[in-house]
Amino acid sequence: MKNTLSASFRSFLRALAGAALGLGAGLWVCKLVGESPWKVLQVLYQSSFGSGYDFGMTLFYTAPLILTGLAVAIPLKAGLFNIGAEGQLTCGALAAAWAGVIGAGIESPVLAITFASALAFLAGGVWGLIPGFLKARRGSHEVITTIMLNFIAAGVTAYFTLYTIKDPLSAQAETIPLPEVFHLKPFAAFNGAPMGWVFIALVVLAIMVHHLIWNSAWGYSLKALGENETAAETYGISRGGAWMSSMFLAGGVAGLVGVVEVLGNAHRFKIGFSADYGFVGIAVALVARGNLLGVLPSAFLFGVLQKGSASLDLETEKITRDLSYLIQGLIILGVSAEGLWEGLWKLTRRNHA
Amino acid sequence: MSALEFRGVSKRFGNFYANRNLSFQVEPGTIHGLIGENGAGKSTAMKSLFGIHAIDEGTLLVAGKPVRIRNPIHAMKLGIGMVHQHFMLAGTETVLDNIILGHEPGFLSIHRDRALAELEKISKTYGLDFQKWMSPVDELSVGEQQRVEILKLLYQRSSILILDEPTAVLTPQEVQELFANLKRLKEEGKTIILISHKLKEVLAHTDSVTVMRRGESVGTRVTSSTHEDELAQMMVGRAVSFTYEGERKIFAKSDESRPVLKVDRLSISGVSEPLKKVSFELRPAEILGVAGVQGNGQTTLLRFLSNPSRFRGVEGEYRFAGRNRMGSHPDELRKAGMALVPEDRLSEGLLMHQDLTENFLLGQHRDPRFVKNGWIDRSAVRFRVERAIRDYDIRPPYSTVWASRMSGGNQQKLVIARALDSDPSTLLVAHPTRGVDVGAIERIHEAIMKERNAGKSIVLFSSELDELMDLSDRIVVFYNGSIAAEFSRREFDSWTLGRVMGGGSK
Repeated sequence: MKNTLSASFRSFLRALAGAALGLGAGLWVCKLVGESPWKVLQVLYQSSFGSGYDFGMTLFYTAPLILTGLAVAIPLKAGLFNIGAEGQLTCGALAAAWAGVIGAGIESPVLAITFASALAFLAGGVWGLIPGFLKARRGSHEVITTIMLNFIAAGVTAYFTLYTIKDPLSAQAETIPLPEVFHLKPFAAFNGAPMGWVFIALVVLAIMVHHLIWNSAWGYSLKALGENETAAETYGISRGGAWMSSMFLAGGVAGLVGVVEVLGNAHRFKIGFSADYGFVGIAVALVARGNLLGVLPSAFLFGVLQKGSASLDLETEKITRDLSYLIQGLIILGVSAEGLWEGLWKLTRRNHA
Repeated sequence: MSALEFRGVSKRFGNFYANRNLSFQVEPGTIHGLIGENGAGKSTAMKSLFGIHAIDEGTLLVAGKPVRIRNPIHAMKLGIGMVHQHFMLAGTETVLDNIILGHEPGFLSIHRDRALAELEKISKTYGLDFQKWMSPVDELSVGEQQRVEILKLLYQRSSILILDEPTAVLTPQEVQELFANLKRLKEEGKTIILISHKLKEVLAHTDSVTVMRRGESVGTRVTSSTHEDELAQMMVGRAVSFTYEGERKIFAKSDESRPVLKVDRLSISGVSEPLKKVSFELRPAEILGVAGVQGNGQTTLLRFLSNPSRFRGVEGEYRFAGRNRMGSHPDELRKAGMALVPEDRLSEGLLMHQDLTENFLLGQHRDPRFVKNGWIDRSAVRFRVERAIRDYDIRPPYSTVWASRMSGGNQQKLVIARALDSDPSTLLVAHPTRGVDVGAIERIHEAIMKERNAGKSIVLFSSELDELMDLSDRIVVFYNGSIAAEFSRREFDSWTLGRVMGGGSK
């Protein structure tokens, strides 16, 4: 255990070094276009950590990415590549909004939020279960089915938004607003950034999922299956069961994005609210190299960059939004290069064995 | 001038010397055996030679010239070719494309016809008698795939051919064919290095042999002037017995005791190796050997016995521990006292990128000794793993080591220790010593016999007739999906067994 802990700590340090390297490359590009790297660094720092509001917004960008990062990383343990977090979170968000319609009479905030969260989890979970089921039953490849289900989710949620629970008072494509009792309260220290206790809850959730995968018999069967399908089957681990259950959990976790967005921010479901959280989640999980706890710092890195890139565009003369994406890309490249080193190291190790 | 020479070669990994001051010479146009236990440094030496890693000290000489081999491509240019134990072939591509990969003739388009003509010539020159150039590699038998690997080296004009454990995966006939081919290659001037554990093979088919132990060469002998005992002693560093000489308890009236496991007119269709009306019984305190050339139904039988729930289209009866087990799940069988050592430890038995503890859990991840309310008690597992490491002398002796970093013999010891950990009443054991070194073979045979003497029932699947005859109380021979004959212990005779395996009569 001590061994593995120090190993993951080492890999964290290396990731940090990679990020610094990527940032360095990015700053060099800034210098090339004639912007002072020092200024850029200042803007990046200020925009993410400069004030309570800024930090709150950074966490607000981070929160959905924790969930979608987990939604990709969980099935990855069982050897599945979940491209469908986007669809799963859309279903979860609609369900969260619908919870306000069904539960209009609920008076206790605890009950209301629990009810909405459960519905969001369930809706996302079922949407995740479908590709799991198709793979188990028919052998359909999950990459294809999850991509397709993203489109279907967009269509289905749009239908319900426009024809079933549309807000009659709004000209936008959005649902009836949630009653007050469903709203998540942001921290006052964030000066209006829509982020509160829910962030702590997400961190706890990530730790719980990590614990579940590492220490439960169920988690073990996922890992065994992801590592060696033939061996897992020989020793009686059911592929279908592991695929379906991991995809259900992943979909459910992605569905909780609805809680963050609908209950915490918009207080209603808006078509197209997601800034591709589901797809960025793939990058989050890959940068974390599938490590469930690694999703936390990885999502935070993406949150900082997303927040920072908007500010760079506004607050510097030379750096446009596209260029800030370039800097973002270089930093992510630096972090993932750490994975490349690791891979090379493993490869040489394997050859020695 | 020797074709190849290691002169004081050392290779370090950290503080560990995988090769230390290794010196030996290989004469051109000979078959040179390189033997040693797993972990003795044979593979490291060959990987240095093949340019996979750089040596720390010493010199490598190819055809008398000192060389620094930078990478495998450089090694190939120097005429060194290697057939790896696990073949490096793309299964869905044709034989031809596999062979010319990396050496495609033509510039903008591949001149397959030219390659084909060249290959026909090579095949004829060396008497390899190969025709299936356009078949996908997956459709070939293991022996044919190996021949493709050899043809690949010949096509690359390698003059030194290294074969790593070439017979580990072959049937007896294929082994015979392989050595006939190697002999012809030698006569055509090729130099062959044969890495092996199997002393008999090395003695029968090499001209000279170098023994390695703990990274060093213990000595080189002319094959015709050495013998099995000497080589074994050099390898292990002590005298070794090849046959099980321990106790074989005689149990009174074992014939009358009730069978633990019974299969009656079992037929399985719709699989690549179907079974036809197979019947046998297994009693307490006996080892039932299952012999047969690979592909005659043994694999299907083993898979069915250990996991009936995987099969459709099954007829007949399967009883174990007093119950009907048609369609049973492995967990049920485990609970009733069955344990499994699967055929292929790499693909069926181990999680290569997990440590010993995680591997020990495989199949036991629902065992109440280790799992309470769905949560794994890793300290309980680790306790058992550490015991297994001591009892079976598993190396390296750490529960946190990845399975991929252990030698084949140690991996196998782990798989067997895991199977015996739950104190099963019945063991299904397949190829327990395949690719395992001499020292470990002894230990594994002892462990199996100890179980039998303690009254356990064992079905032993093996392709080594010696092993079967050594350990078994009875042997059934499979041919074409059914049991062709049964032999009791006093009828054991490799010649007759071999004949029945080949479809003859008892």
